[in-house]
Amino acid sequence: MRTVEVLFVIVILLGALLMTIQFAVLPSPRQAFGTNLRELSQSTLETLDGKGVLTETVFEDSNDTDWGDLQKALSASLPPNVVYNLSVYDISTSSGGVINYNLANSISDAGFGVDSEAASLLVTSPDVTFTITPEKVGEKTGENNTLYILNCNEANGWWITGYTGQSLAIDLYDFLSSYFTTTVLINDTDELELLLENSTSLEGTIQNAVVMNPFGEAVPIPYNYTQNGPQWDEGYYLVDDGSQHEYYDTYSKYCYTLGVKTQQYNWTWVSIVGYPLYYVSNTETFTGPNDHNSYGIHGMIRVGPAGLNAFLRGLDGKTYDAWWWDNPNNRWVYGDGSIAREIGVVQFTSQARDKCNYYGIYPSPYQTASRALPQSIKDDYHLVATELFNRPQDNPTTSYYEPDYIPVATYRHAEGGALTAIGLTRIPDIRVSVLALLMYYNPAVYKSEFGASRTSRVVILQLGQQGGT
Amino acid sequence: MAGATIDHMVAVTILIAALLLTMGIYNQMFASAVAYESNRKVAMKAVDIINTACICPGNPENWGETNTSLLGFGLQDPQAGGYALSPYSLMRLRTSSNDSQLVEYPLGSGLFYNNISANYGHGIFSPVGDCLNYTAAAKMLGINGTYGFRLDIVPTLDVNVSQVATKPLKLNVEVHGSGLPLSGATLNYHLFHVDKGEGEYPSITKYSDVNQTNSSGSVDIEFPYVMNNEPSYSFTVYVSLGGVTGVGYYTCNTLPDEDVQYVIPLIQDFDGKIIIAHNWNGDMPAVTYNTTFFVLSSDFRMHPIQIDNSTGQLDGAENPYNTTEIRAYEVGLLVISYLTPEDDMGSVILPWGVGALGVSISFGGDPTGYSFVATELRQVSVNDISYQVKVSTWSLSG
Repeated sequence: MRTVEVLFVIVILLGALLMTIQFAVLPSPRQAFGTNLRELSQSTLETLDGKGVLTETVFEDSNDTDWGDLQKALSASLPPNVVYNLSVYDISTSSGGVINYNLANSISDAGFGVDSEAASLLVTSPDVTFTITPEKVGEKTGENNTLYILNCNEANGWWITGYTGQSLAIDLYDFLSSYFTTTVLINDTDELELLLENSTSLEGTIQNAVVMNPFGEAVPIPYNYTQNGPQWDEGYYLVDDGSQHEYYDTYSKYCYTLGVKTQQYNWTWVSIVGYPLYYVSNTETFTGPNDHNSYGIHGMIRVGPAGLNAFLRGLDGKTYDAWWWDNPNNRWVYGDGSIAREIGVVQFTSQARDKCNYYGIYPSPYQTASRALPQSIKDDYHLVATELFNRPQDNPTTSYYEPDYIPVATYRHAEGGALTAIGLTRIPDIRVSVLALLMYYNPAVYKSEFGASRTSRVVILQLGQQGGT
Repeated sequence: MAGATIDHMVAVTILIAALLLTMGIYNQMFASAVAYESNRKVAMKAVDIINTACICPGNPENWGETNTSLLGFGLQDPQAGGYALSPYSLMRLRTSSNDSQLVEYPLGSGLFYNNISANYGHGIFSPVGDCLNYTAAAKMLGINGTYGFRLDIVPTLDVNVSQVATKPLKLNVEVHGSGLPLSGATLNYHLFHVDKGEGEYPSITKYSDVNQTNSSGSVDIEFPYVMNNEPSYSFTVYVSLGGVTGVGYYTCNTLPDEDVQYVIPLIQDFDGKIIIAHNWNGDMPAVTYNTTFFVLSSDFRMHPIQIDNSTGQLDGAENPYNTTEIRAYEVGLLVISYLTPEDDMGSVILPWGVGALGVSISFGGDPTGYSFVATELRQVSVNDISYQVKVSTWSLSG
């Protein structure tokens, strides 16, 4: 009786054993320790296409000798125990938008055994040419806006560390000239004066123009607008209220004039980095020992935050007069004083990301905003802002509310004129300025494709190992 | 009563036997699973190492082109990306596994050079102090003391060159891929012919042309303008077919001992400073030399570049070496021809960039004696020359 019971137990044990063997199946040695064929396949495709040979071959007719060469190359480069199958598929899109893959050609050296792995590579025909034709800014409205880029040889820049204003001007020209009917480099401050005076001797149309200042926080100033120039009263101001306070001389008047001109001529004034209009620069005029920015850059004079405030007042049609004595701090202040704030890292808006893809310009979507402007200027100066970045969360450790500050925007005045202020930290990425401008004007780009109707093919290299399991 | 006892004993015996049997089988299964798991870890580590080596440039990215210390291991060419290795980073690997393989120059100075030899006389002698050793690489990979590895980086194509005849000079080039001859391959070849020249220094004349291998993967190349009985030359050939490329080379000197070079170039630093040294092993004759740096373009053409101290005299006493500088950021060949007072001539090549002369490299530990070694293979290119990278990995914990 007990023997029968034990036999029952043994049956149960053997049953458990069989079930365990049934389910606890170890993979074959090849699967566990064999060469990773997928990555070998990927590296083979990439190296064969290193000089474009694979791309050229897969678009050749299947009878072409290049296919034979490719077959030899595959056999020569793969280990002897690895067999391959290389298939090329045409990619085409039907009128209904359905993507079709049609086998164009296939080569192999043997049949596959138990299993195989594959990798793919998408290639584009070398005969295909893609062209992009941008719409000119102002073409639709008939304004045909001219782009003026300040390239004044007698000016220094600030906060453009590692660059010069002149080198950035050339880069901006390369980026933007295709979007404008006319692009003019303003090569010295004499030409800048012609621009400010709406001279007909200057190429292009000054009305409705875009003026880019690649000198960072500095702006070139013509001699005539300086203290000793004949038009000094449009560029220079001596604060003198007859009180006991010391005089305070300033070139914020020049910035005010720029604001007035911007509104008058319906310009878009672009500041590429930092605090706009913080210095004025003319290396031939400002030659005194104190004519520097305190950081070793000579030929410039500090305007300070008064420059931007004066510009905005000029843009808004207000009078220049906004100086007041800050008694507690014992100093003269213009308007609201320093208005820019550091708000940390900011991220592109989804619209800005779309425009990156649309125009093919890819600056980093994360930037550090150290000169963000308060949104209150929109109400104070009657501006509408086209913003590039999402505003950050509030940082409780600061005394101000970060979401109230705009890192980068083009501020359009209701009666004409605009200011693009890139309130990011140095070193400038001029692609952000380019993107801001394109986002503001929104010119279309017409993309054309020439060549064969089927321009893309996908190459799949399937590898398998021979011998054993 | 006795029947019940016997019944009981039989039952217990059968039960124990059954238990032992099943436990034995279970034990085997568990042992297999444990072995599988541990080997699987090694295999995964091999994939990890080869990916790090092939598709990470290291830190700093351009460490192969400078003398700076390395913070992170990787061999990818940062400019090419993908499965392309930096020809310069490879030169900074300390391939010698023990000190006896190092070269000391000057003798007794304590300055040692790593020797990545292409063939006798043609090698990359790089200063050991600036090279990356195996232990440091293992630490950067985070496997020091846990896993061992070895990288073997070898050209995909096997290109053999041999001299068939002289007057005129005729060379045979044979190209083989993975065990099969490569027919119809395009050959871009360059012959650096050394002659006495008109002055005191030897001259280097470069002859370049294009040819193709026949159906058996070989071709004879004749140089009708080289009519010496005993020519002195170096020859390099770049082979390409269907996206796979390879290099071959051959050197012939008119020296009493073919296996001894009188001039040996050493890399002083990775900024491109080169020491042209007189052979310090034994009593070698004084030589005059003439050297040219040829930059290798992507279509395998050679462009000569003027360098400092391109000519000079070397001997074992007063002028044991001279220095020059080449463009550190361009792959090419430094070809040095030399002439003895007895009119014996020779030439030696320093490849600047591993792919320029198809040099093979082995870097890492020795897997001999370990029970399980996982291997991984990748196809890569080194300055447009096809290479295969094999990594062998094993566990050091048994």
